Amino acid sequence: MSALITLQGVAKSYRNGEIVTPVLHDIQLDIAAGEYVALMGPSGSGKSTLMNLLGLLDRADTGHYHLAGRDVTQLSAAQQAEVRNQTLGFVFQSFNLLKRMNVAENVALPLLYAGATRRAARERAHELLAQVGLDGLAHRLPSQLSGGQQQRVAIARALACRPALLLADEPTGNLDTQTTAEVLALLDSLNREQGLTIVVVTHENDVAAHARRLVRLKDGRIVFDGAPVAGRH
Amino acid sequence: MSLLQTLLEAFRSLASNRLRTALTMLGIVIGIASVVLMLGVGDAVRAFIDRELSVLGSNQLIVQRGAPTAGGGGQRRPPNPDAVMLTIDDAAAINGLPSVAAAAATLQSIFPVLYGDNSTQSTVLGVTPEMFRVRNWVVDLGVAFTDEDLRSANRVILIGSKVAEANYLRRDPLGQVIRVGGRPFTVIGVLAGSGRTLDGTDLGELLVVPITAFPLVLPRPRAVHYINVQAISELRLKEAEADVAELLRDRRRITGDTPDDFNITNLASIAQTGANIAAGLSIGLGVIGAVSLLVGGIGIMNIMLVSVSERVREIGIRMAIGAKPRHVLTQFLAEAVVMCLMGGLVGVALAAGGVWAVNRIGAVGSFSMSLSLTHVGVAVLFSTAVGLFFGFYPARRASLLLPIECLRQE
Repeated sequence: MSALITLQGVAKSYRNGEIVTPVLHDIQLDIAAGEYVALMGPSGSGKSTLMNLLGLLDRADTGHYHLAGRDVTQLSAAQQAEVRNQTLGFVFQSFNLLKRMNVAENVALPLLYAGATRRAARERAHELLAQVGLDGLAHRLPSQLSGGQQQRVAIARALACRPALLLADEPTGNLDTQTTAEVLALLDSLNREQGLTIVVVTHENDVAAHARRLVRLKDGRIVFDGAPVAGRH
Repeated sequence: MSLLQTLLEAFRSLASNRLRTALTMLGIVIGIASVVLMLGVGDAVRAFIDRELSVLGSNQLIVQRGAPTAGGGGQRRPPNPDAVMLTIDDAAAINGLPSVAAAAATLQSIFPVLYGDNSTQSTVLGVTPEMFRVRNWVVDLGVAFTDEDLRSANRVILIGSKVAEANYLRRDPLGQVIRVGGRPFTVIGVLAGSGRTLDGTDLGELLVVPITAFPLVLPRPRAVHYINVQAISELRLKEAEADVAELLRDRRRITGDTPDDFNITNLASIAQTGANIAAGLSIGLGVIGAVSLLVGGIGIMNIMLVSVSERVREIGIRMAIGAKPRHVLTQFLAEAVVMCLMGGLVGVALAAGGVWAVNRIGAVGSFSMSLSLTHVGVAVLFSTAVGLFFGFYPARRASLLLPIECLRQE
């Protein structure tokens, strides 16, 4: 399998006035297309920062990032936005749906930014909602949905432009056991049946167990990279 | 993202905060209303003066007996019964001045007028033939009277277009006999045009006879009520006024410090006074408009800045799913422009109400206002420009935000 993601010597630190806090040191990471990777680590380990770098929401201080065969280290803000739109899909802990828009409009929004017509975007949105089992709720507002339903809407939105990589940041952090299982089953099927590459940040072993590879960070360095069972404590 | 989609989102966003949107729009509403009214007043005044001068004839002076009142000014006064009346010969002498193009003696009185069986009370003018030139009267049908009619005191009459229409709808008015003050006058012409003029007469309702045939017994032979004078040109109007004054003082043997027992009114100066008042009003409205637009624009900028900082998280989410900086920029710019355009349209509606009120109250003579498409176009252009100008800075700030910092914000 070809490498979808290659990080070479990536480092990042945050500056607050005079104080510089290093967060990531010299990260080397390859992720192949079709992988399902769990990123774990204690808080402050840098796993969220790594996630933001992978999602082109933030920039590394040094090092190189190749995504789908393209060096994306030095892209402009507009180019980054295009890569996020076309190649990446995001699922957040707090869902991050736009509360004034209904479910279908939320799902259609990335397609509109991609330049699709309103009609095409609407049709694709309904298709995606059917795929996550929420077609009947297309005209509800996010606030009228349960947490699990909102997260499935967010997944449908993340899939709108057929991304190569799905980035999920604590996707079950706000969900109960039952809906957590539903969301994880959905991610499993996307990975297994559609070959979607998934990177999930989590601190729950149960969630990480769904992945087929575990990357564990500590103090800004990768301290474990292997099968999830072997990485458990 | 299409323009339509962007505008729809802008509408929705503004609609979600109606009170704030309405209050923010207020400055633009007042500003645009003032600008539209200012343009309307300017146009109306220009049209009004053009109309008045074309009806009255340009470069006009009116000479009456009676001392000028203190302060002078353009107001016409009732003639002073104690002063010696002006005569046709005074008019003829004024006619000979080099700065004067024409001078016409005039008598004016109200008579019972009989058209067949139909009797009314009407104002009748007795004039010399020069009056046609002085007042730019055009004979639509038939002919004007001549010096011969004047000498022979022929009982001929010219009537205004409204009079002709009211009394001779299906008949040729020429040759008809009208009884004025009991005496028969033959219609020889119909005057073109209608409309109330600054001196209070309606052109369409005029009845004009040779001054020598005027059916009124006068206290002095060849006496006239006033003399209409037209100067050679606008530039020589002042000179003509002085020449007429000097000539009349001479003819009436007024010397030294003795004040005039006649007065000269400059009709253009009445129109000009009106124009000056209107111009002042227009400038006042313009200043109010400019200040309102400035303050309204700053209000919009302020609210847009608030809106951006309230919606940082939304901006972050949009950026995460693929909004480019220009998408964010146009989104906020669209909100500012839509807000200004809505304010502008309300302002135009307000101005339309103002125009309606002005026309309803009815100012002087033929003064009327209208709302032209050009003014509405200017208003739309102005509101868009204000929206773009004051919306740009907040929108630009939003577009330069970093996605990671937006998403961190709760």
